Formats: sequence, structure tokens, C-alpha cells
Amino acid sequence: MLSMLQYVANGIVFSSIIILGAIGLSLVYAIGNFANFAHGDLMTVGAFGAIIGGSFLTGYVPGTEVSIVGIPLSFYLAVLVGMVVATVVALATERLVYRPMDATPIQLLIASIGVALAYRGAIQLRYGAESRTFDVGRGGPIPIIRETIGVSVTQRHLVIVSLTVVLVVSLHVLLQYTTLGRKMRATADNPTLARVSGIRTSEVITAMWIIGAALAAAGGAFLGLDTLVYPDMGFDVLLVLFAAVILGGIGSVYGAVAGGLAIGMAHELTPLIPRVGAEYGPAVAFIIMVAILLVRPSGIMGDRQ
Amino acid sequence: MIDLTRTERTVLGVLIGACILLAGLVGTGVLSASYLFYLLALGGMYVLLTVGLNVQWGYVGLINFSVAAFFGIGAYSVALVTSPRSPLELELHPIFGLLAAIVVTVVIALLIAIPTLRLREDYLAIATLGLAEVVRLIVLNEQWLTRGSAGVPGIPRVTEWMPLAWVPFDSANFRNFLLVVGLVALVFLIVRRIHRSPWGRVLRTIRADEDLAKALGKNTYRRKMEAFVIGSVIMALAGVFYAHLNLFLGPGDLDPINTFYVWIAVIVGGSGSDRGAIIGGVVIVAILEGTRGLVAVVPADVSVGPLRLLLVGALIVLVVRFRSQGILPPQRELIWPGTDRRASASTDGGEDRE
Repeated sequence: MLSMLQYVANGIVFSSIIILGAIGLSLVYAIGNFANFAHGDLMTVGAFGAIIGGSFLTGYVPGTEVSIVGIPLSFYLAVLVGMVVATVVALATERLVYRPMDATPIQLLIASIGVALAYRGAIQLRYGAESRTFDVGRGGPIPIIRETIGVSVTQRHLVIVSLTVVLVVSLHVLLQYTTLGRKMRATADNPTLARVSGIRTSEVITAMWIIGAALAAAGGAFLGLDTLVYPDMGFDVLLVLFAAVILGGIGSVYGAVAGGLAIGMAHELTPLIPRVGAEYGPAVAFIIMVAILLVRPSGIMGDRQ
Repeated sequence: MIDLTRTERTVLGVLIGACILLAGLVGTGVLSASYLFYLLALGGMYVLLTVGLNVQWGYVGLINFSVAAFFGIGAYSVALVTSPRSPLELELHPIFGLLAAIVVTVVIALLIAIPTLRLREDYLAIATLGLAEVVRLIVLNEQWLTRGSAGVPGIPRVTEWMPLAWVPFDSANFRNFLLVVGLVALVFLIVRRIHRSPWGRVLRTIRADEDLAKALGKNTYRRKMEAFVIGSVIMALAGVFYAHLNLFLGPGDLDPINTFYVWIAVIVGGSGSDRGAIIGGVVIVAILEGTRGLVAVVPADVSVGPLRLLLVGALIVLVVRFRSQGILPPQRELIWPGTDRRASASTDGGEDRE
């Protein structure tokens, strides 16, 4: 039996991953105006981009064996590669599939299921169905933390949580203090009004896909660092992402952060419920989601129906 | 039969051609009659699933990503109640299996529909995605109930009573084929009847414009609930049939990919069209069996499973993009027979999508 604190520590790590995925999902919901069922698989694309691109870089870029916080530099570069790959894939999908369609949100939703299957099929076709791990060496729990409060936290966990904080704070600064951020918030709030005010909404939509895909890729790479990289990894967390977005309120970035934290924590605290195993984490997320839909469908921070 | 549209004639031609081809394959011994009937029985099962999803998506516009789960609920209800090897050790008559499947399905469908049907359409999509995951987790982990990944063997056959011993090619598969033909015919007649009724017209109004239906004083929440439950029960019936066809049930039978095969069948066949749903169901089996043939075509290092996944995904995108009304969109079939004086003239593309 692990201590309560240990579950909370695991929860913070998993929440970080869910927050990164949920922000992108919520942005597409707000600005693109449809439920993107391919977002989980976009995380997979990012994770594979990172693991394949990263191992490629290690051979050609000198100095990648230098470690920062016990993780080799090659991993940080790999995450960047993954973010670029996912951004390119997302923008290509938007140009080829979603933009020319001029369809209702429901048709886009169904098309996004097709996109999700196509991503997964393509990855599996090229790289097989087996699991991979990031080559960052074996890092055990950090001794000091273990001795003082009895919680095992690895250097990987520290890297995941601190990079997530950096990414979320950067997004906050972007949204609140830059012109692009103001345009994005305006478009999310009322696309028609934004367009008459002279905002080029198509540029805003492009920016949204770039941000959403880059964060999803980081989330996917972190999920792969924490566990494994395999073709179904993104689809397996899609339900948890949706639960976080709905809990936070569809379309609200800050809601997605709060919802991601709550759902990620609930997911990891599941074993504390008597006679329920850790494998029921997604089920607990699902039950919270249905309860929110019954009581407050607009979520904690949302105002849209 | 006289005034068929061009698409109808093409579809009819392709179907007749396929029948001749299959008969030829059996005649020359390439395909055994027993296996052909097994494939056709499986095709009938997909037709049932497609008709069920069509009631939800095609009639009203409800997005259900739990097709595989409702199918699994039906199949597992039968397996647990009737099999001598099930952990419940009830070993009841198959009729109780059928009843259990219907009751459990109705309860679960209501539980998922009550919180989501008042909200925007996409909430139901997300909630059913979750339901499918939860059902899969329960089947996999609750060993005391479902035997987990070991599966439930020993499900009884239900076709012994058929007086068919005189038929030269009589086999279990042939009897199952007849059973599914009967089921499909029954379900098809019922849904077509209710689709043409005032109830069905309200559903079509909701699909086109829910606010309009509300403004006309229709209880849209109630109608959507009814359509969702009816569609789910039809999917569970497909599961009941599958349990008695396969005689063994494991968690692998609830693979979520089946949900998307059925989605393709509905949107390819023509959302909202009952006969389109039947064509779509047949198309799925043709695709699934046809892609087995891919093994001979693609290089040895390419595996067929992921390739099929990729093709299915691309097909969904292409159908939504280029032919969102499907092969056989609803046309005159929605008009009560005898009331349409210009039947031969109206060949345009059916009702508008929202």
C-alpha cells in the first residue's frame, strides 16, 4: 500500500500530461468549433516524432549526452522535434481535410474520427505495434525526497512537471499580453464579431492548431517518458482528455488546466477507493464527466452551452 | 421495379453480379457452401448493427460511438445467462438470454442518454466513447462475472428446432443464416414502419432543425431518448445473434474498431435510409473479407491490420468530404406508399442534412 502522498505525487505527474492534451482539445473546440476525436492520436504522433526524431538527432548533433536534471539533452531536443512533427501533421490535416470541407461541426467530428484512425494506421504500418521507451537511462527515485517525506519521485517526473509549468505559463503570457493572444480570445468568444473587427480569423485558426499540436506533442512525449510509446497510447487517454475539457468548461483554456489537474488526480487516486483497482482510472474520469454533465454542463469555468 | 433511379439500378446490378460471383465460387469449389453461409450470417449481423445505428444517427442525428459496447452488452448478457461455463451458473433457456440482453441494454442506454440528450449533440458522442471504454474495462477486469480475458465458452445453439434435415447443404451455418435473415427482415419491417409514422417524421424534423421541432410543441428530448433506446436494442440483438453464432465470447469481440466499421456502413449506405443501411452492412463484410485478399497484393513486410485501419480512416474522411449523402440517400421510401403521385418524377437527392 502506497502512502497518500505518493498517489498525490503520481497524480501531479499524470495531471501535467492531461493538461497539455486538454488545452489543445479545448482550443480546437473553442476556435475550430468541433470536438476533435483525433487529438489523442495527435499526441501519439508527437510522441513518435520525438522518439524517432530524437534517436536520429543523437547520432548527428554533438553534445547531446550532456544531462540536465539527470535527463540527457537529447530528450529535450527530441521533444522539440516531436512538437515540430505534430505541428506539421496538424496543419497539413487542417489544410487537406478540415478547411476545404466547409461542413457542420458534426460532420467535422465524424471526419476527425477518420483522421484519428488514419494517423494510428499510418504509425502502426511504419513502426509496428510494439512498445518503445525513450533512451534516457535508468533513473531511480531521488534519494533526498524519498528520505525526507517518503515519496519516490524520479528525475523524469521533475522534468515532466516543470516543463509543463513552463509551457502553461508561456501560453498564459501569450494569451493575456500579446496581440495574437487577444485575437485568439476574441475569435474564441465570437468568431463573427472578431471577423468584422478586422481580425484575420484564418490566421488565428492556424495559430491555434500550432499551439494545440505543439502542446499535444509535448504531452505525448511526456506520457511516453513516464510510461511507454505505442500506437494506441493517445487514443487510450482521449476519454480522460475529454473528461478534463468538459469538467473545465469547453473552450476555456484555464478551465482545461483546472479540469486536467482534477481529472488527472482522480485518475491516479482511483486505487484509494475500496475494492477498485488502478485499471479503473478512466472509468472514474468518465463517472466524474457524466456527473458534471448532469449538474453543471458548462463546466467549472465555461459559459457556453 | 420499373422506375428505378440510375444509382438504384447500379446498386441492384452490383448486388446481382456479386450473387452470381459467389454462386460461381461455390459451384467451382473455391468457396465451401458452409463458409459462404457463415460469411452471410456475419453480414446479417453487421446489417443489424447498421440498421440500429441508422435509427440513432440516420433518423435523429444522435452520435453513438458505443456500437461495439451495446453489441457486447447483448452478447455477454446471453453468454452469462445461458452458458453452462459462465461464472453465474444459471444455464437458463436462450429466451431468458434474449430478455436479459434487452433489459440490460435499455437500462444502460437510459443511464447514458438522460444526462447527455438535453445538451448539444457532441456531448453524447463523448459520453458514448467513454461508455465503450468502461464496458470494455468491466468485461476485462471483473473475472468473477465475465471470466476476463479467458472468455465465456459453451453458449448453446438455438437453431436445432428448424426442420431442415432434408436440405442437401444443411449445416449449422446455413441455419444461422436463415435465423439472421428472419431477424433482419423483422427488424427492417418494424423500423421502416415506425420511420414512416408520425413518430419518424418528428425524428426527421429534429435532425433537420431541433428548435423548429420544439417550436411545434414536440417533446424532442423524449423522442431522441426513444430513438436512442430502440437503436441500442437493435445493436444488442446483433450481439445476441453473434453469441449464438460463435458459441464463444471474449473481450476481443468488443474491439472499438467495430464501432467505426458500422459508422462507415451507415454513412456509405446513406444516413437515414433503411435500405441504404442494409447495403452498407453488406459493403462492410465485403471490405473486411476483401482486405484479406490484400495479403496477396502488398509486400510481405506490410501488415494488413494497420493498412485496413488507415484505409477505413481515409474512407470516412472521403465519404464525409465528397459524398456525405451516401450511396442510397433516403428518397421515396420515406413517403407513404400510394400517396406520392409524382413518384417516377422525384429522383433528386433526398432530404437535406442539417
